[in-house]
Order: sequence, then C-alpha cells, then structure tokens
Amino acid sequence: MIEIDHVTKIYPHAKNKALDGVSLSIPSGEFFGLLGPNGAGKTTLISVISTLLLPTEGEVRIDGETLTRRRGDLKRKLALITQHNSLRGDMTLDQIMELQGRLYAMEKGEIRSRSEELLSFCGLLEHRKKTVRKLSGGMKRKLMLCRALLTKPEILILDEPTIGLDPASRRQMWDLLRTLNRQGMTILLTTHYIDEAQYLCQRIALIDKGKVARLETPQALICELGEVAIDEYREERTESAFFHSKEEALEYASHLQNKFMLRSTTLEDVFLNVVGRGLEAR
Amino acid sequence: METKMFFHGILTVLWEKWVDFKFEWKKITASALVSPMLYMIALGWGLGSTSTVTDRPYIDFLVPGILALTTMNTSFSAVAQPLNVQRLFEHSFDHIIISPTPMPAYIVGQMLGGALRGMYSGILILLLSIPFGATMHLSVSFFLVMLLNGLTFGALGVLAAILATTHADIARFSTFAILPMTFLCNTFFPLERVPRLIQILISILPLTHASGSLRAIAYGGNPNPLSLLILLLYAVVFMIVANVVIIRRKNL
Repeated sequence: MIEIDHVTKIYPHAKNKALDGVSLSIPSGEFFGLLGPNGAGKTTLISVISTLLLPTEGEVRIDGETLTRRRGDLKRKLALITQHNSLRGDMTLDQIMELQGRLYAMEKGEIRSRSEELLSFCGLLEHRKKTVRKLSGGMKRKLMLCRALLTKPEILILDEPTIGLDPASRRQMWDLLRTLNRQGMTILLTTHYIDEAQYLCQRIALIDKGKVARLETPQALICELGEVAIDEYREERTESAFFHSKEEALEYASHLQNKFMLRSTTLEDVFLNVVGRGLEAR
Repeated sequence: METKMFFHGILTVLWEKWVDFKFEWKKITASALVSPMLYMIALGWGLGSTSTVTDRPYIDFLVPGILALTTMNTSFSAVAQPLNVQRLFEHSFDHIIISPTPMPAYIVGQMLGGALRGMYSGILILLLSIPFGATMHLSVSFFLVMLLNGLTFGALGVLAAILATTHADIARFSTFAILPMTFLCNTFFPLERVPRLIQILISILPLTHASGSLRAIAYGGNPNPLSLLILLLYAVVFMIVANVVIIRRKNL
C-alpha cells in the first residue's frame, strides 16, 4: 500500500506550492490514475513517491514504512517510467537492461532470460545490439517499460506512459498494464489522455493547483456530474449541460434554440468541469 | 544482504565505467596524452632541458608532477562530466536514485572507476616519459599514491557533479579548482620558490601532497605519511559530503 500523508512540496524560489497537503492511500493491487492540467503537480507527486524529490512537509509510506532515499528495501518494490527519456544514449539495449538488473543485484542468467522475454514482447529483441540513440521515440518508451519490468516491481509508477506511441502500441501498452494489474501489481499513472484513465484506472484523483480536487472511481465521478450530457452548439462556443436522466436532458433540450447533441457523459466532461473552469479563470 | 548490495553496487558502477571505456577507449587514450606530452615538450625539453632542481635534471622533477596532475584531471573528469550529463541531461541518474543500490556504494564505485582511469592515464605518461630521459624509482607504493590521488579527485568529481546546476558548472569548477592546482601544487616548480604565505596556502591543497609523495618515491625515498593521511582525509570528506548531499537534498 502507498500512503501519501499531507505531502507539501515547495520548489526553491517558487511563489506557489507545487503540492499542497496531498493525502492519498492507494491499496495494493489498485490501478490508480492521477489526472490534471499541465503544472497541476502530477509529476511532482510521482517524483516524491519515487524519492527523486523529497517533500517539504509530510511523508510517503510504503506498506506502513516511511520511504526515504536510504530505504533500499522499500525502493526495491518500486519501478518508475518517467515522462522524459531517461536512458543512457551511448548504451545498447542489452547494456541498459544489464545495468538495471545489476543495480537490483539480479543474477546474470535471470537478467539475460528476463531481458529476452521483455524485449521480445515489445518487439525490440532484434534491436538489442543497437545503441539507444539509434531508436525511435516510441521504441525508447517501450525500452523504458522493459527496464522497469525487469526487476518485477510490486508498484509500477508511470508518468505519461503512452506519449509518443502510435495507436497500436498504445493499445498494446494498455493491454500489458491491465494484465500486470490483474497479476497483482499496483499501478499508479499520470496521463493527459482521459480515455486512457477511464479505460484503465479503478480510481482517479483529479489534481489541480497541487491539491486533490476529486478522488473517486471514474463511474462515480461521472454519476456525480450526471450521466447524460447535452452539447448545445452556440455561435461562439459549445455549451455542455449534464443531467441524471435522459428525460431531464430532453426536457432541457426542448427549450434550446440552437442545434444540440445528446450523449453519455465522459470523464473528459468531469475533468473540464472540475479543473477546466479553473483554467479558464486563470 | 546490505553488505552484498554494497559490493554489488561498487561492481555495477565499475562495470558501467568499463562499458564506457570500451566504447571510447581510443578517444580516452588520445586525450589523456595530449596535455602531458605538451608539458613534457615545452617544460621538459624546452625550458627545462638545461636546468636542475635539487641537483637533479628538471625532467626528473617534472614527471612526478605531471603524473599527479594527470591522475587528478583524468579521475575528476572521468567522474564529473558523465555524471553531470547523466543527472542533468539524460536523467539516467534518476534510476540510480530509485534503485536499491546503496548510495555510498555508488559513490565508492565512481571513485574507484575514476581512480582506475587516472591510473590508466598515469601509466601512459610513464611510458611517454621514457623517451624524454626521465629516471624514476617505481614501486608498488608509487602506484598506490596514484590510486589514492585518483580516489580523492574521483570523490571530488561526484561532489561537483551533484552540486552543479548546469553543464557549464563543471567547466567552471575545473577553471576555479582544478586548473589552479594543476599549476601551483608542487607540479612544475618546487614550493620553496614562492613566498611563505602562498606556500602555506598551497600546502593545504590535496594535489600538493600527491605530487610531493610521488616525487619522494620517484627519488628513491619514502612519502611523508602526513601527506598520505591528508589525501585520504580529503577523499573521505568529499565522499561523505557527496553522500549527505545526495541523500538529503530535496531537489536533486
């Protein structure tokens, strides 16, 4: 279980708090999503959970024990896929995997067999002797996934994992993540793709201005807003309204002067409703 | 488990350094030779061909100094530059932070890796000094002093790379810390030739003790134990400070 306990993060010389007293509990085996606009604090939170950053206040606990940079036993449970490419450009794929395995004190034979299995699954096996700088952006992201999975982590943290992937690779990544989650791996991801969060995550925290604005299952968030949506196409903009039943929505629509569309509410509507209005006001 | 992880961590860094070396050994070898060769031509053959220091040919005085500054430069650069790039540009250092490898093991691995690269350059310089006519007494202790010097500046390399906030900071650090030591620390001229106050200031710096110790052994004597202790102390202090900074710094 990951417990984030009143975590505040203030960067040096920054006016605002990047994280402002964030508290969350993520039980083992959950697929948890962090959604929020740019600069909301998602990457900062993930960096704190993985010890890349230390919190100004508060703490993170893994299975009840406080996580620090000294706690190798707790860090062993984690793996992180960062948003940016974090691979050594002058190393081959084999060397990247071997370095990761060695950092976790894995046996050489295990590193070799598991690397082959993962690289093969991601379609990278034939490129194993190439240096990283010769790979495409999508291939680098797949390699980062292979590296993260090499050590069989209990908790996988992914910061925008499907950025730069083509639609087929994105689907392949989704399927893999769901399989890993079904096998018991706790997964925490941030994403800009709301369909990704809706499809994958059991619970979602909407982060805005360093705070948790909402924390619920995707379906509960949608129900809270209203499961039926009407988009009214006005001249200057599209205005959406939300209702708890189709009848209510149709009653509302009967008074509209402009063209409209009746549809199901999505998580994107929730996102825009919770944080979007704030963005417009900023 | 802790002890196993510690030694495994050191070996992992050494393996990584070996991979780097294999990838670029030609460039590493060539660049290790350029500056020392220029010093030996300009100062050994050119300016110093007819001069003596303490009744010995100047080239005998010069070569241990060049060995000290070369092992310093190589060890520092072999650690500081790649680590700086891995931390600020490639972000691959993030995965060292996240990994269970103990940070002291990582730092010791970097120090050893840097020191071995320094030794490699030092041995190349020794071979290069033969045609220049330098005579030296070589012993195990001579190489151990080179190793100790490399460990000290390897540790300084880790510290510099962790404190740097830009890539240019490493070059600036070299300009303000490494370059002055290169010229002042008992490398090209005996300390007795500078005013007393400057002598005292120079005596505080680690390279002074490395060059003095190497020269003492090369002349057939023994190094001053206090010099060795001071070098060791510098290595330990740099290592501890680097470890504390990495473990405690909120924004790495």
